[in-house]
Amino acid sequence: MRLTRMLALGAVGVVLVSACSLGGGSKPTIKIGSVKFDEAKVVAEIYAQALESNGYTVDRTGIGLGDRSVLAPAVETGQIDLQPEYIGSRISYELAHPAASPAPAANAGITGPTGDSATNLTDLQQLLSPKNLTVLNYTPAVDTNAFVVRSDTASKLHLTDLTDTTAVQGQLKWGLATDCPTNALCGAPGGALQGQYGITAQTIAGATLLSACDTPMADALKAGTIDVGELCSTQPDILVNGWVILNDNKHTQPADNVAPIVRNDFLAKVDKTSFEKILNDISAKIDTTTLASLYKQVAVDHQDVAAVAKAWLQANGFVPKPS
Amino acid sequence: MLDKTITWLTDPTHWAGPNGIPVRLFEHIAISSVSLLIALAIALPIGLYIGHTGRRTAFAVNSANLWRALPSLAVIAIVLPITSSIDPEFGFKVYPTVVAMVVLAVPPILVNAYAGLAGVDRDILEAARGQGMSERQVLSRAELPLAVPVIATGIRSAAIQVVATATLGAVFGFGGLGRYLVNGISQNDTGQIMGGVVLVALLVIVTELLIVLIQRLATPRGLLLATTASAAQSPG
Repeated sequence: MRLTRMLALGAVGVVLVSACSLGGGSKPTIKIGSVKFDEAKVVAEIYAQALESNGYTVDRTGIGLGDRSVLAPAVETGQIDLQPEYIGSRISYELAHPAASPAPAANAGITGPTGDSATNLTDLQQLLSPKNLTVLNYTPAVDTNAFVVRSDTASKLHLTDLTDTTAVQGQLKWGLATDCPTNALCGAPGGALQGQYGITAQTIAGATLLSACDTPMADALKAGTIDVGELCSTQPDILVNGWVILNDNKHTQPADNVAPIVRNDFLAKVDKTSFEKILNDISAKIDTTTLASLYKQVAVDHQDVAAVAKAWLQANGFVPKPS
Repeated sequence: MLDKTITWLTDPTHWAGPNGIPVRLFEHIAISSVSLLIALAIALPIGLYIGHTGRRTAFAVNSANLWRALPSLAVIAIVLPITSSIDPEFGFKVYPTVVAMVVLAVPPILVNAYAGLAGVDRDILEAARGQGMSERQVLSRAELPLAVPVIATGIRSAAIQVVATATLGAVFGFGGLGRYLVNGISQNDTGQIMGGVVLVALLVIVTELLIVLIQRLATPRGLLLATTASAAQSPG
């Protein structure tokens, strides 16, 4: 008697499992990842939920995986299928980490990210193709490196543009990113700060090095440990504390819009057109104000990333609101 | 990886300037020493007191062991807003790390100081009292010397943990050898990372040897001879 009952339950179980997999399983599972910045995590979660509402199964374990030095290899080796990326900064990374066997012509002419988004997208795709990766459309939103001072520093030393700091650099305590000394966009010899803004190697060597765009940098600026901090332009701390972003009047910082990078072998498994449309439609709706606001809700208001993503998707009609 | 490490360590530019190895080594030794001294000043008196008198032992030992549960990075993050409002420069870069290192070093020193004294044979102490020694003389001439090996082990353990963990300070803008780890990871420079690792490891070994030497010098001759004699007898 018990045996029969067990077999019956087992049969029901098999039917249910196969029914479930027939119902939603025709689209493959996609592994989505992101770097640890709250902003990147929110965008990744938005893409994830949008894909889920279109029938895809999402593996989210890669969201917040690490910084670019961890995430980029992960997407190249297939641990991650999709990641949101800053197109300008990724160009710098790709030039420093070229594909193992590229056509030498692939990198020809690309020396670094430009201040123009469309150029950056084309250049980035050229660099990613040998790695079997595709970059989709970018958001109107831009999040790029910003050199920030407190408002009292700005008024005391009359600082509006970054060039205004050249003459008074010795009077400022500088806080720079930990990779600044070797990054051409920052303090490397001949790079943005030294080459374009006349910041001396001595100033850079004497700077406090902290993780860029991160809490310790903001804390240090608030505490007065540093007077100039390297943050990201959509960072909520700037809004909350009334800090002043020094204008990058020499246009050294890259146009850093956000775009999804996807593995070609994943695209081969799905209906490419409809898949790309889902993501491109969403990216088109994210402008700089939206991005800053999403970032603030997670980082400052401490709201849950998934909840923020869901609210935005519902408000913009990508996901049906519960009735 | 090995050749990148050797290349980085043998590059003369890495031995000069404010980010050079001598400067970072000095900063690392300085913060480790200061933290260890503060920890000794806190933990030794308490540990010796409870070990000698036998009072409040459970309370003191359990409280000390609670400190072990605090991850150093968390301590730094918690202390930072407080100390940076006192002093924007040192209060941000130095004091939080010092506090975290003190929290790390106190438990092993305190617990071993207590255990070292508590483990001394009571008969010996009775014999010392019988000889007419005052309590202070019993402590200084009989108890403490016999407890040196255990107390020194506690200090050694604390010192090694502090030297190895002081690398965390670099995350919050401090220098020290941790600077090479943090910068190296961010700049994707394997040579720098492994160079930093090698330097920290060497410093840990030197610290250990130094304390072993001090322990040797502080251990009473009789105890030293007894341990070497029993070591000579036991192999077989």
